[in-house]
Amino acid sequence: MILDNFKLEGKIALITGAGRGLGRAMAVKFAEVGADIVAASRTRSQLEETAEAVGKTGRKCLIVPTDVTRSDQVNAMAEAALKEFGRIDILVNNAGGGDESASKRIDQITDNEWRRGLDTNLTSQFYAARAVAPAMVKQNRGKIINVASGFGLRGGRDNYMYACSKGGVIQLTRSLALTYAKNNVQTNCIVPGVFPHDERAMEFYKGGKFIPLGRTGTDAELAPLAVFLASDASNHINGELVIIDGGGLAGGIAPTGVLPELTSKSAAEA
Amino acid sequence: MASVLSEFSLEGKSALVVGAETPVGIAASTALAEAGARVMMASQDVGAEKQLKDAAKKIATNGAKIVVRVQRAAIRADLSATADLALKELGGLDILVNALDSPAYGPADQTDDSVFDRVIEDNLKTVWMSCQEGARVMLQRRGGTIVNITSILAHRGVPNASLYCAAKAGVLNLTRALALEWARRSIRVNAIEAGWLDSPSSPAVSQNEFAQNLLKYLPDNKLVSPNELCGALLYLVSSASGFVTGESIAVDGALLCRI
Repeated sequence: MILDNFKLEGKIALITGAGRGLGRAMAVKFAEVGADIVAASRTRSQLEETAEAVGKTGRKCLIVPTDVTRSDQVNAMAEAALKEFGRIDILVNNAGGGDESASKRIDQITDNEWRRGLDTNLTSQFYAARAVAPAMVKQNRGKIINVASGFGLRGGRDNYMYACSKGGVIQLTRSLALTYAKNNVQTNCIVPGVFPHDERAMEFYKGGKFIPLGRTGTDAELAPLAVFLASDASNHINGELVIIDGGGLAGGIAPTGVLPELTSKSAAEA
Repeated sequence: MASVLSEFSLEGKSALVVGAETPVGIAASTALAEAGARVMMASQDVGAEKQLKDAAKKIATNGAKIVVRVQRAAIRADLSATADLALKELGGLDILVNALDSPAYGPADQTDDSVFDRVIEDNLKTVWMSCQEGARVMLQRRGGTIVNITSILAHRGVPNASLYCAAKAGVLNLTRALALEWARRSIRVNAIEAGWLDSPSSPAVSQNEFAQNLLKYLPDNKLVSPNELCGALLYLVSSASGFVTGESIAVDGALLCRI
């Protein structure tokens, strides 16, 4: 049965930023199709909630409180996963996010904000890949899924740290993909558009009326993409960005919702 | 199946594959049927009838409903009739896969206008017409999803393949523009870019100098089998990708990263 290709039966998946939102959604969906989970994030109490949700599927969930900006902690996270399960089949680099610098003028952004943002969004993914890649090479099998953003491909007004760090994630994806192509390790990148997590964000994006599909996305819609990229169904896909944004990046050179029309001799009349 | 797997299932869906006689068309028809869809395999190649019937018979051994149709009229009229027939025979039209492909290689300075017309018609115009006719039926109903099979040649140039590259790039941007046009009308349009295919019509499989050098050049030293496109296909045609439109997934083993 071809749908079995999407199963993760017996696979071990290490997910960062797994204490909430998309990270938790992915942990639960992965477990639904048979994976055991190693859940990492800073806050133990949130990880415990994720573990409880994973537990309901009957799969195991090891929680490893981790500050992904600290390489010693990231190395310890990979070691804990290997000690418990003996291997790591899937790494999801999901931890990261925006910060208050995205609304500041460039001369008001501090060195610290810039560095902390890059550490959280980009360096963390490098650390985790570095910690996990040797095990995947030894297994001659592995999947790395990096989470970037549409801002990794487009510019944003007053948006430096986030756009640069997510752009870096895309390039990290490509170099990992090329490097480990012969070791049967595939690295791909999820590029989400607008996925608001609170009402303020939903209001800011006006419910998604500027998105071609006319709405914003949900974490529950992102999770199947992660399952696909973690599974054997994507085995020859490597170094690829999968954009999930309701059509935003397919267009973007004209406003959404109004159609250009020629006043004389339109295509339909010609 | 109370898991995320059910989002990839095509149980109860109807799918039309145009260009079903190509290696990717046969792989796609097989995958769609295995995932639960009723499938019409349509071909613009009259000579492909026996091949299609044999393929359909094989797929149908799993109990799948498969209908075969080969070209009966000029392309436009035929594609129009095919879309209507799919609706009638399958009881719906939720999925359209355009797997048409007509590889064309040759030096530009020895290519005349008739070759231009033929390459662009076989690889681009037919996809355009098929999208129009499929969407015509889908728009009368509850919408649907369209996947156009194109190539990584859509992104980069290859010598001795200028028209083929242009047509494949045309399919990619046609996909994006149609996705935007139909985004609010319940039709999603996406593409799959095949890498160098392991198929008889590919210049990558013969024993010539190009094929041998190419294999060494590929990051994982492997050609792409048509079956390997089917994971991306099932993702894109199913409800698993409900927020994805105007997107294209390359199945190329990291080749585009190298360039």
